[in-house]
Amino acid sequence: MQPRIILAAFIIPLGLIIAAVPQNTTKPYKLTANELLAEASSRTQYIAPEEVADMIIKKDPVLQLIDVRSKDEFEKYHLEGAINIPMNDLLSEDNSEILDQDVKMNVIYSNSTVTANEAWMIARQLGYKNNFVLEGGLNYWFDAIMNPQKPGSTSSDEEFAKYDFRKAASVALGGGNIEAIPNNESAPSAILKPIIKSPKKKKAAGGC
Amino acid sequence: MGPLAVNEFITENTNLFLAFVIGIGFGFVLEQSGFSSSRKLAGVFYGYDTVVLKVFFTGAITAMLGLLFFSLFGWVDLSLVYINPTYLTSAILGGVVMGAGFIMGGYCPGTSFCGASIGKIDAWIFIVGLFIGVGLFGGGYPIWEKLYWAKDLGDPKVSESLGISDGVFALILILVALGMFWVAEWAEKKFPQKEY
Repeated sequence: MQPRIILAAFIIPLGLIIAAVPQNTTKPYKLTANELLAEASSRTQYIAPEEVADMIIKKDPVLQLIDVRSKDEFEKYHLEGAINIPMNDLLSEDNSEILDQDVKMNVIYSNSTVTANEAWMIARQLGYKNNFVLEGGLNYWFDAIMNPQKPGSTSSDEEFAKYDFRKAASVALGGGNIEAIPNNESAPSAILKPIIKSPKKKKAAGGC
Repeated sequence: MGPLAVNEFITENTNLFLAFVIGIGFGFVLEQSGFSSSRKLAGVFYGYDTVVLKVFFTGAITAMLGLLFFSLFGWVDLSLVYINPTYLTSAILGGVVMGAGFIMGGYCPGTSFCGASIGKIDAWIFIVGLFIGVGLFGGGYPIWEKLYWAKDLGDPKVSESLGISDGVFALILILVALGMFWVAEWAEKKFPQKEY
């Protein structure tokens, strides 16, 4: 027999099988307890409030805020554009599409970081990527962004730059510290320094 | 050794060492299959020898079936398999440049090193040309940087853009490949190698 016929006799049935069976959509990927611990303690899931403020102001389409507090709390106050997913509804079918992201960047927040971290851990355990936790939660958000304290006169330039940024962000997001802003014509967003992200490294392509 | 390196089961250096060993094995198999001969490689374009086409397509189909079955058995999570992103403009231009170089030189980058290691002079010259090309590309990078990153399509799959399942696409590709092998063997008879 010709090798081509042997090859065909072998791979065509395999092709027929693979075409006929449904695609495996289960996600065998799970973190072990150790891996999850390592990831949680590396604190890479946290995203600084400044960065989130910057994205909100710029209306970055990538940002997707997720409020995991109860519906009542959400209605009283929530960050601009946030989606409310109370902890109890976290695993419902509709929400898995939101949490399982590869385009947007989910930033989960609650009053502190406890509930948000719980949500993040569950999402992580399901193998979802692109989920982050707002560092310090809403409480820290109010202290840092909405009502920033002027640093002492001996503070470093970096501290002052951070303060200027927070002050500008506070105004742009409708915070309380209006009188701290100098009364000039420049728009507050102009004071904001954009956070420049370094472009992702591209992997080298292989050839034959 | 992707998953081992990414999950830090092995160090970067071990990874490079394994790549080195696998590379030698790959080169050895290429040489043993006659891929260090520029005539054999150029034969694909003239129709008298289509072994290269058949070997690479068989390799691709084997890997495709292997991945799909491994995914079916739950051994591999296909969503974690790295897919090289597609930049349409540079893919087309690069393909044309590479193809032209392939026909003229009779080698592709891997096989040229294979040929050079057994002392083929044409392979040495091909490698010199290869480095001239690398130098031109690297030195003139600012000129074609925009072109290089143009038309970023992400990492699309043909099956997704056609709206069919991976399995059905695999079957179609197998049938196309077998049809192509048949045409290739017909071409080998039709355009026999000229004796020089």
